[in-house]
Amino acid sequence: MLPRLNIKGRKIWMLSALLLIGIVFSFCHIKISKVTIPASAKVGDVVPIQLDIDESCNSGGSDRLILGVLMPKGWKGTQNMTATYKSSKGDGSFTMVPLTTLAAHGDGKNWPDYMRATFGIAGNLIDDMEWVVMQSDNPFTYANGDKITGSIFINLKVGADDNPTVVKLAYVVANTTNGFTSDTYFDEGYGPTAEYYNQYIGDCFTVTGGSGDLVDFCNPQLTTISPPKSLDNDLVTISFDSNVTETALSGSDEVYLCATGTTNDGQTITICEQTAKTLMEGVGSGRYEITIWPRSFFGISDNQTLTNMTYFITDKTGTKQVGYGNTTAPFTYKFKCG
Amino acid sequence: MKCYFILTTFCLLLYACKVEEISPVGEAPKNISGSWKVLKATRNGTDITSAFDFTQFRVKFDSAGNYTIVNKIPFLVNTNGTYSLDDPAYPFKITFTPQGGTAVATSFNYITTAGIRQLNLTFVPGCDLNAYIYTLEKDN
Repeated sequence: MLPRLNIKGRKIWMLSALLLIGIVFSFCHIKISKVTIPASAKVGDVVPIQLDIDESCNSGGSDRLILGVLMPKGWKGTQNMTATYKSSKGDGSFTMVPLTTLAAHGDGKNWPDYMRATFGIAGNLIDDMEWVVMQSDNPFTYANGDKITGSIFINLKVGADDNPTVVKLAYVVANTTNGFTSDTYFDEGYGPTAEYYNQYIGDCFTVTGGSGDLVDFCNPQLTTISPPKSLDNDLVTISFDSNVTETALSGSDEVYLCATGTTNDGQTITICEQTAKTLMEGVGSGRYEITIWPRSFFGISDNQTLTNMTYFITDKTGTKQVGYGNTTAPFTYKFKCG
Repeated sequence: MKCYFILTTFCLLLYACKVEEISPVGEAPKNISGSWKVLKATRNGTDITSAFDFTQFRVKFDSAGNYTIVNKIPFLVNTNGTYSLDDPAYPFKITFTPQGGTAVATSFNYITTAGIRQLNLTFVPGCDLNAYIYTLEKDN
């Protein structure tokens, strides 16, 4: 008697579990079918961005929509981005997701960290970007077989750091239950993996104006500086990529930093010797790096601070120099945090 | 004879079961006196130990509560001064007070790796976005 009861119970439990999985873990396949954004903007502009969304549901349920936008940290997106939506299931707005909210299927990460771990910086070349994540104000209800259409209208004030910028903005839509998961159910038009989320990477978007230096996240640069924002008391790594284009240094096996620092009291200090102090270490694949402590490198006094730096990359003799854009003009860098 | 044997066994068992009083052992105060060097350095999570010359830097703590910086690099403080722990036995925080300067505190992360004490110090010498962690080890 007992074994038979046990088998029946097991079946009931299995059916209940399958039903529960169907309720909790099923949602709608989603895709961003179109993104509309101006080709460029000026620092301080509020840029309108429209995402057109299509969804195809394979079960009934109710959930909120997640929206993530990848942008430069300096734009302070949590303060400068708003979004609303219109859809066949109703209209509403988005609110910022608190950093304390853990993402579904995110292994303990919050939504920005989960997006960062899953999508990285979407092909941008400078790691000074963040995912700004919002969720729809109201959950919407859907039924098996529903085809939902809608649009998200983003208003993003660009260039809060006052820097002209070239960047690939990226967008992710998902829901608060399924995170970045997929199923094997084929849904025509939603790709072979039938994802419950979708990422869209835009073309290079240009922001002009501003008083800062151009920050180009989009195009390979002859030199980059890490961290992108630093003061003279940071350790600053300057990298030179000899593969970006043919330069006067092509074929040189040793390259050196030749830099001029300017202090807050107007003094200029040039360090342009070809010694161990300025030798850039080869790190493979035609790339060279040097990490300096600017205060010590330029030998400034305790009462001084460095405001900016210009620099060239030279060969061992110092006669061959590479500057900004492979010209005779120096690369420039401002010591600032914003 | 049998009675004596039973009585003796009973007495031995009683003695054997006697509760021994052990005085609680207090946690020893953390002593960081000595000269410390940088074993590892990270900037925003990236290992930069081999990218910069940290080998000449030393921070020396004495038992009177003074510290000395030798061969400066970006650090919590740039001038000599005094240090203190928030609790001598169970410290969570170490505070550096440079001469004529403002006190700077950071978490006291005093770990043992392969039987050797290490001191992890987290600090921000420049922009707030740029966090550094130095893992220090005694060099004497």
